[in-house]
Amino acid sequence: MLDIARPFSDFTRYADADTERQVTRFLYAEARTLDREAYEEWLDRFIDKDIRYWMPDMETRRRDDRRGAFCYGEAAYFDDSWDELHVRVKRYNEPSAWADNPATRHAHLISNIEVFETDDPQLVAVCSAFTNVRNRNETDQDIIHGRREDVLRRHGDGFKLSRRRIFIVQNVLLSKNLNTFL
Amino acid sequence: MCEHDQCTSHAGQKPDMRPVYPKAGSYPHFAKLVDTQKAQVDRKVFHDQEIYEAELRQIFGRAWLFLAHESQIPEPGDFLRTYMGEDNVIVVRQRDRSVNAFLNSCPHRGNRVCMVDAGKKARGFICNYHGWSFGIDGGLRGTDGKVYDSDATFDKGSIGLTPVAQIASYKGLIFATFDPDAPSLEEFLGDFTWYLDVMLDNDEGGTEFIGGAIKSVIDCNWKFPAENFVGDILHAFWTHQSGAQAILGGGVDLGARYDELAFQASVYGHGIETNLDKVGNTRTLGYPELVDYVFSRQKAMADRLGEVRARMVGAVSSATVFPNFSFLPGQATFRVWHPRGPDKIELVVWTLVNKNMPEHIKELYRKGVMMTFSPAGVFEMDDGENWEYSTRVNQGFVTRQQPLHYALGVGTRDDSRDLPGIIHKGSLNDANQRLFYTRWAEFMRFDNWHDLQNGETAPPQRMAQRQAAE
Amino acid sequence: MMADALDMVRICDLSEIGEEILKVSLEGHKPLGVTCLDGIYYVFPDTCPHANESLSKGWIEDGRVVCPVHFAEFELGNGAVHNGPSGCARLTFYECEARIDGLYARLTS
Repeated sequence: MLDIARPFSDFTRYADADTERQVTRFLYAEARTLDREAYEEWLDRFIDKDIRYWMPDMETRRRDDRRGAFCYGEAAYFDDSWDELHVRVKRYNEPSAWADNPATRHAHLISNIEVFETDDPQLVAVCSAFTNVRNRNETDQDIIHGRREDVLRRHGDGFKLSRRRIFIVQNVLLSKNLNTFL
Repeated sequence: MCEHDQCTSHAGQKPDMRPVYPKAGSYPHFAKLVDTQKAQVDRKVFHDQEIYEAELRQIFGRAWLFLAHESQIPEPGDFLRTYMGEDNVIVVRQRDRSVNAFLNSCPHRGNRVCMVDAGKKARGFICNYHGWSFGIDGGLRGTDGKVYDSDATFDKGSIGLTPVAQIASYKGLIFATFDPDAPSLEEFLGDFTWYLDVMLDNDEGGTEFIGGAIKSVIDCNWKFPAENFVGDILHAFWTHQSGAQAILGGGVDLGARYDELAFQASVYGHGIETNLDKVGNTRTLGYPELVDYVFSRQKAMADRLGEVRARMVGAVSSATVFPNFSFLPGQATFRVWHPRGPDKIELVVWTLVNKNMPEHIKELYRKGVMMTFSPAGVFEMDDGENWEYSTRVNQGFVTRQQPLHYALGVGTRDDSRDLPGIIHKGSLNDANQRLFYTRWAEFMRFDNWHDLQNGETAPPQRMAQRQAAE
Repeated sequence: MMADALDMVRICDLSEIGEEILKVSLEGHKPLGVTCLDGIYYVFPDTCPHANESLSKGWIEDGRVVCPVHFAEFELGNGAVHNGPSGCARLTFYECEARIDGLYARLTS
């Protein structure tokens, strides 16, 4: 369940409406926090200490190629623990992080949310899709679309993100950088 | 299509399908845009479409260009797709285990015959347009259907994918050129192999690339990242202050013995700037275990490479193989800046490790490169915008008439050290960048390899021989 | 009916046949492909049903004849097509028999 290299199996049991509403609010609140570039807060409020945060490069391969589009252990944009995410956040906190000073204007749009029960009552499996828009300076704009497979763990009344697999639709990243989290 | 009388005599003759390798020309007016005496580079070289077209012909049509690491295609039929300049090529391991590379363009209507990034054990490549099929040796095997059976002029044996003119490896790195007259790869690299060995030969087991590649697009001229890696450690202090702070908790540090040890070396426009601080670059990957590992290998590496190069393996350093293949020793990132017009590049990034490294060390290099020198990495993140705006401002007609300052370290030539290549004192220096552009100008000016290999950028002993001969 | 009426034709010496595809041209017949796998002999038209290419320039892989041009695979024995171009017919295999003086096959049209 928490193995970052393992794809979501076919979840069939949708979570109840209350859980779904809670999860949806969690994801929207997370997105709004990222929009504000409040990265330290994002780590504290939304990210579990046991987080595995992975975004592989997406290769173009023949349909009959068993490797498929991505392969755990090969090139990736992110393959982070909490400490590694924190290194990235520390850079954002520096005034000399020039790719973010002046500030980038962000819109993290989340949709296609589906929430499933898992065999562990503490964990829910969440599929979602995203559109990430970053705009800087005058006309510099980058848009990335993709899908996520999240595992959220119950913490008190709410949740924290334990695992996230991010699959963008781009083969060549059509941007000079990726100065946000997805 | 051809209805002239004189053409009717060609009816029934086989079309000439032999590969064409373009000849170079000479562009002295472009070469003059680099003024060695004044240490200036005219901004037109970052903007002008005609100059860009000349670069494709003079540089990317002739120079040895990096294609792949041998480890990416270990078995016959294993292949990957990459670029030489703007030309898409397929690199494929042959049945006899040699490697060849072909233009990825069907000789029928020109369509790509291979759409994927890479694959294992390909039997061949079939064009999606009309089903023309090519073996991994590039030869045409056949077409769809039986229509060509009755065409007497159709000669399968004379048709195939265009191979590169020459292909060769240097210690695991595969390069190719479109110029049949180009000198050997080792002659093209010259003494720079001495510096390549810091990464390619510090262990008897050789090297490999970790699987996959990160590709991204930067709206900059290809020469900005290439010159950055050839000799610009200066930018690290300002551009990368935030990344250094995040990882090291402090600024970039060139070591206590900088004045004594740091230098730049250049051969035929290839260049490396380096300190001899042992682990300065490796430290920035953020894993103390990697630093310990590099320290633990100092003696073994010194036995193999000598004391100086053993100190370079993890040091604060960067390098470019002319024109567009760069790497960071210590950080283990290797990359190509593929040109896409005067104002755009496609960047491809790999991680190089020694085959003999323990798996957990390889894994830390993989993650370290991802954390530092990939699009979400804390260093690379801040590079792109600098190069984009250094390029974009030159859309301003008046702006692009203004001089650029490439004069740091004029007069710091150091012939006293027993190191290969043209040596300048201190790594904080524009020397390698000046020599990079001098090489660029040589490619613009000269239409032949004799002049190209005996010009201002040639290694000192080569220049001495030439002067003696004159 | 016709097939039964045809006589067995001598194809080649057994010693000529290996695990590669041997091309055999007999007068009055179209070229043949011949191979042997695990002690069983196979005789089939050398011409690929798809685009008239010579199968003897291809190879045997995992019990299949692989066409060297579009990489259609034909199962040895029943000729079933795998990964073939659209419309590619199955490959005919002729009844054959190893005799002391060579390989014989009944070459149906």
